[in-house]
Amino acid sequence: MLKRYNIRMAGIGGQGVVTASHILSNGMVINGGESTLVPFFGSEKRMAPVESYVRIAIDRIYEIGEIIYPNVIMIFHPQVITHGKSYTMPFYSGLKPNGVVLINSDTPIALQPDEVRELEERHARIHYLPATTMAREVGGTDLATNMAMVGAIASILGIPDMPSLEQSVRERFLGKGFVVSGGTAALDNVIEKKFAKKEQLLKSNMAVIAAAYQYAQDHGWAAKPQKASV
Amino acid sequence: MSDSAGVKDVTAEKPAETKEAVELTAGDRQKVVTPEYMFFEAPRERAFITGSEAAKEAIRRSNVDVAISYPITPQSETMQQVGSLWAEGYVKEYYRGEEEIGVMSAIAGSSRAGARSMTATAGPGLMRGMEVIASWPGGRIPAVLLIMCRVVNAPLAIQPDNVELAYLLNCGIILLHGENQQDFFDYTMKAFLISERPEITLPVAVAVDGFFVTHARGYVNLPSKDIKLPPRDPYAEAVPAMDNENPPARLSRDAPIQKSNFISYQVHASWQQEVWAANERARRYINKYMGGLIEVVNPDAEIMLIASGSAVSQSREAVRQAEEEHNTKVGLIKVRSIRPFPTPELRAACKHAKRIIVPEFNYMGWLHREIVTALYGHSKAEIFAGPRVYGGMSMPTEMILQTIFPEKKFIF
Amino acid sequence: MSVKNISITPGWEKYMTKEYQDLVERGPYGKQKKVSEMGSFKEVLEEHPMCAGCAMTLFIRLTMVGLPNPEHTVLIGTAGCGRLALTQTSIPFIYGNYGDTNAVASGLKRGLEVRFKDQAKDVVVMAGDGGLADIGFSAVMHSWFRKERFTTIMLDNEVYGNTGGQESGMTERGALLKMAPKGKMFEKMDMMGLAQTAGVAYIARLTPTNPTRVASVVRKAVMIAREVGPTFIQAYTSCNIEYAIPTPKVLDDAREIEAKRYGFTEIISDEAKAYLDSIDTSKKVKK
Repeated sequence: MLKRYNIRMAGIGGQGVVTASHILSNGMVINGGESTLVPFFGSEKRMAPVESYVRIAIDRIYEIGEIIYPNVIMIFHPQVITHGKSYTMPFYSGLKPNGVVLINSDTPIALQPDEVRELEERHARIHYLPATTMAREVGGTDLATNMAMVGAIASILGIPDMPSLEQSVRERFLGKGFVVSGGTAALDNVIEKKFAKKEQLLKSNMAVIAAAYQYAQDHGWAAKPQKASV
Repeated sequence: MSDSAGVKDVTAEKPAETKEAVELTAGDRQKVVTPEYMFFEAPRERAFITGSEAAKEAIRRSNVDVAISYPITPQSETMQQVGSLWAEGYVKEYYRGEEEIGVMSAIAGSSRAGARSMTATAGPGLMRGMEVIASWPGGRIPAVLLIMCRVVNAPLAIQPDNVELAYLLNCGIILLHGENQQDFFDYTMKAFLISERPEITLPVAVAVDGFFVTHARGYVNLPSKDIKLPPRDPYAEAVPAMDNENPPARLSRDAPIQKSNFISYQVHASWQQEVWAANERARRYINKYMGGLIEVVNPDAEIMLIASGSAVSQSREAVRQAEEEHNTKVGLIKVRSIRPFPTPELRAACKHAKRIIVPEFNYMGWLHREIVTALYGHSKAEIFAGPRVYGGMSMPTEMILQTIFPEKKFIF
Repeated sequence: MSVKNISITPGWEKYMTKEYQDLVERGPYGKQKKVSEMGSFKEVLEEHPMCAGCAMTLFIRLTMVGLPNPEHTVLIGTAGCGRLALTQTSIPFIYGNYGDTNAVASGLKRGLEVRFKDQAKDVVVMAGDGGLADIGFSAVMHSWFRKERFTTIMLDNEVYGNTGGQESGMTERGALLKMAPKGKMFEKMDMMGLAQTAGVAYIARLTPTNPTRVASVVRKAVMIAREVGPTFIQAYTSCNIEYAIPTPKVLDDAREIEAKRYGFTEIISDEAKAYLDSIDTSKKVKK
């Protein structure tokens, strides 16, 4: 069955949005599929809006560049919606009919009536994941929020599978040709100091991914395999 | 005794023993293979790499003598990596120049020395180097220029708008426009061969759209890094190297400006004709090495998309969705070579077309103008001027589908 | 291109022009000519279209005699009067774009070094004050900072002669020229000082009043560039047209300017000095 998702990730600088897109994208490639990714940020800085665009598919991907009309949107921080910390306003702009919106928030966010109506018209499926809480409780650090988001979306979409994601996380943190920005490299160091051993970091990240994956399963978010209408 | 000038020249010829001390470099250990083997026969392995890395791998296998760099986003990563190739011993000489006029001039110098030379730039860097680049073809300078397109006009931006290629269309340089990482690898290697042919002897620019290709990863089939292209032979070119090993071509030293007006007109006319004739002669090698100036998908379709660069990728997806989801066969012509321009090829490929759509990543639509000029009087098709995106935004496939199917709704 | 390369195939002498035969037999290829011999051999500079009495032409002729290895030298110039003569030499000459000389020379020299491991190839830039101090300034300075191994010779006529007499950065303060209708408002650029700051190995300032000195300075500059690092010669080569110097008085003017503000100066780095000492067995090299 054909599977193809165009994902827009939005968050704020320092949350690891671009890292999450790398892990998801590389996981799809390890899984035998195809993926392209385009990170987008202004001047790199902490707490500034960040977006990253990832295409994942089981067959050939031709398209390049930012995704204007996504069918999956991941919101890494509630302030993307509540404070407008986003390059794309409103946060669901361009969302295709029957799309998925995954929002990191412990509780549903009170949206404007217009927003609620527009999302309903598009038959959007909105899921609230307590990603940061989960990262803190399972992984012991807020910095694993991105891992929770990756685990949940893989669960919701059905691709890539868990072994591929694990391999991707391994390659990301044990260094296999990943080019990271200066800011990301600095953050890596902070994380590494917290976890003396990289293996421990890996385990912790995988635990968060697995927990979020299970959370999505338990809440029945995992969609039945469907023909993508990208 | 010293002579009247006071200093005896004892060092012009270096002693022979310096030769023995030279150690083999990584480049020396590579095996020289024929272009045909490199391009078509050598076993290849699939890698998932960025466009910048693809360019690096091409340079590694291209037996490059001199590479000169200058940073500009989104090109910098490529010439940084070429720098590592020099450090590893795959490239013989490398330095960071002062700015693009300096770099493009130095490339003119190293190429005239007979050395295989390359550099890369983007957007404003191309504009800054333009005076020099525009003089390369007239100097019959074989060199390879990689271009990672980005916005050139104010307001400042770094995204991959490709309007800069319009500025290259009228100077005589050969211009290839790659679609993806694989093209960037293949075209770059082939560019050296085309550039140095005796009947061509012109610079070749290989352009891709920045970021989309340079910073995104894609699959690239790579031959072994233990092989490389044959070296440049500067004595088998239209204009001899300025190495003082043979008499220089008269034009390399005299400017027609020093002659009478009528000699100047005559020299310029014949020289310009020869530059453009040489540019046309590149067709033979673009056909031989690159599979033609154009690629055609669904040749019988009544609606044809014509695109170059990243717009081809978006068009491929539009062609697939038109067929799979809207039951309509749409054709696609990928233009690989912008100079020489595939005029006869397009006329033949568009014979049956009723509608032609030209998606572009720039405001003024240089490819559309080229196509309209080429097809004038040879096609009854409606040639649609667009869709276009500006400032380096990527074109949503939906925009192309909306143009193909105006009655349906794709854009939300 | 050794003298062997330009030699005439035996039996074909009579088909070659007298000029060519002279160049092979009596020219400076393969043998060092002296300034005192000028007029007795076929010079590499043929007839030229320079103005009558031009000091720059004299300087260029002397430079050609001074070149230590003309058969392995490539000249580079840019727009300006100098290239009118330089294109008429029997040495490959690259006439590039405006102000590109030192960038072209950088690439050329490195390219030649890649290709010719066992044969030194000398690269010599000869361009005007406008070409080097104004439009080519960045390329000149950076070639020096990078320690590029070639010689830069500035033919300093203190004006844009070829475009009809406009002020240049090397013009003296107060000089009334085109584009300086109230007289030049700032000082002549201190290119010698800049060369020193950039670490140029050998710097010389001179006028063409002493022919032997010109040839000697050129030889030293080219050889030091080959072995040590960048070298710079700043030569006063007056424009008798734009500065209205009567043709018979051109050398008088040169002597006067030399005495006033353009005295012979050499600035030699320790490394260059050591190199000169190492090759000068007769100890005749001054300073």
